[in-house]
Amino acid sequence: MNREELISKWLDNNLNDQELKAFKNLEDYDDLVKLNNNLQAFKVDNYHTSKQLENVLSAIKSKKQTPVHWFKPLMRIAAILAVCFSLYYYTTTLDTKISTEFAQKTTIKLPDASRVSLNAKTFLAFNRKDWKHERALELHGEAFFKVAKGSSFKVKTTSGIVTVYGTQFNVKQRDNYFEVICYEGLVGVTHNSQETKLKPGDSFLIIDGKTIAKEKENRTMPSWLNNASTFRSLPYKTVIAEFERQYHVNVTLIGIDSEQLFTGSFAHDNMDLALKSITLPLHVTYSKSNNTITLKGE
Amino acid sequence: MGKHLHENICEEHLFSSIFNKHAKDLHNLLYYKFGDLLNPKDKVQDAFIKLWENCAKISPDKAKSFVFTTANNLMLNEVAHHKVVLKHQQTKPEISTTENPEFLMQESEYNDKLQKALSNLTEAQREAFMMNRVEGKRFKEIAEILGISTKAVEKRIYGALKKLRKDIKEL
Repeated sequence: MNREELISKWLDNNLNDQELKAFKNLEDYDDLVKLNNNLQAFKVDNYHTSKQLENVLSAIKSKKQTPVHWFKPLMRIAAILAVCFSLYYYTTTLDTKISTEFAQKTTIKLPDASRVSLNAKTFLAFNRKDWKHERALELHGEAFFKVAKGSSFKVKTTSGIVTVYGTQFNVKQRDNYFEVICYEGLVGVTHNSQETKLKPGDSFLIIDGKTIAKEKENRTMPSWLNNASTFRSLPYKTVIAEFERQYHVNVTLIGIDSEQLFTGSFAHDNMDLALKSITLPLHVTYSKSNNTITLKGE
Repeated sequence: MGKHLHENICEEHLFSSIFNKHAKDLHNLLYYKFGDLLNPKDKVQDAFIKLWENCAKISPDKAKSFVFTTANNLMLNEVAHHKVVLKHQQTKPEISTTENPEFLMQESEYNDKLQKALSNLTEAQREAFMMNRVEGKRFKEIAEILGISTKAVEKRIYGALKKLRKDIKEL
């Protein structure tokens, strides 16, 4: 039996007595035994099968009844809903804002049956959510209100507060100009903490801080709703300012007294006609270039 | 075979018996093959948990090869191609504690060489060789565990022995 075979048999613990004797006589017998003895030191730590089985079984059981399984996606859905809800809440409690640009008019319905018509270059803000508790809105510019009957209705402007109880009225608040005309019902105007009550046809006008008395108004609605601006004994500058808003142009006055009173009207849909309407009565000539209109006095 | 159709690893007692039969061999195999660094215990546990999760799909006679393959793959996922270092047990039973210092030094030197030589073996050589030498398993048993022929086992182990002795002499 050769050496290789002997070693192989030794490895397989398969030597018979005779073979063992031969193996012991091999020259590297000592070497092999030493290697074998020292190898034992590299034995793996004892593996406790029953303890490990317990670990595995408990791991399996804890995995089986895992609440995370449904809890996590549920939390995700809840988070999304929370974000959506807060976004919804935030947007619904925000003030509703409506504004018109140059030469633009619009009519909107308020949360109740009230209606508001906005003239050009006007800003209106109100809170849809609080509308039931307080009918109040903020106005910069000019608007005509048709208020449904109900609790008090307030229009806040920088010049004063207009309070009404189911009525139709026009509020015009422009630079240094504040005018309220009542068309129906009863309107209260608070200006400088003084309240003035307006009956149908009454108007309240303040220009440059001065109260100006006006004749009774006998129309049922402001003329601008019919695409025309009407002025009765008003400073020429307010006429020009309104013209600029309706046609989105710049008007330059040369040699014209902007404080002189003007009575008349101009249409909103025909600039040439409108220009004639406001220049002819004062014997003024006009010239157009791009967006600028120059009016020249004689 | 017909019997197996009705048996299900999902039953805890059957699962436990499979575990008791194979877990230790698997653990030792992984240890000798990949070393201690990659937690062979955890891999055994993970492999058996995977077996449980798939218990309905795996017949009992396929269970062994399933856990062995799974554990091996789990290991391979983590092997960062580093050398396998088998732990040398400091608490090995000393035959004689009264050896002279020179002998002790030689002994520790020899063990260092042996450790290096072991990590130079191939995985296949090392697992078979250590199972044989340290666990005292015979070629036939190892062949069964590894799913290869007895002849192949013998070749691996003999090759490992040859390589070890050569390495130790050279180191």
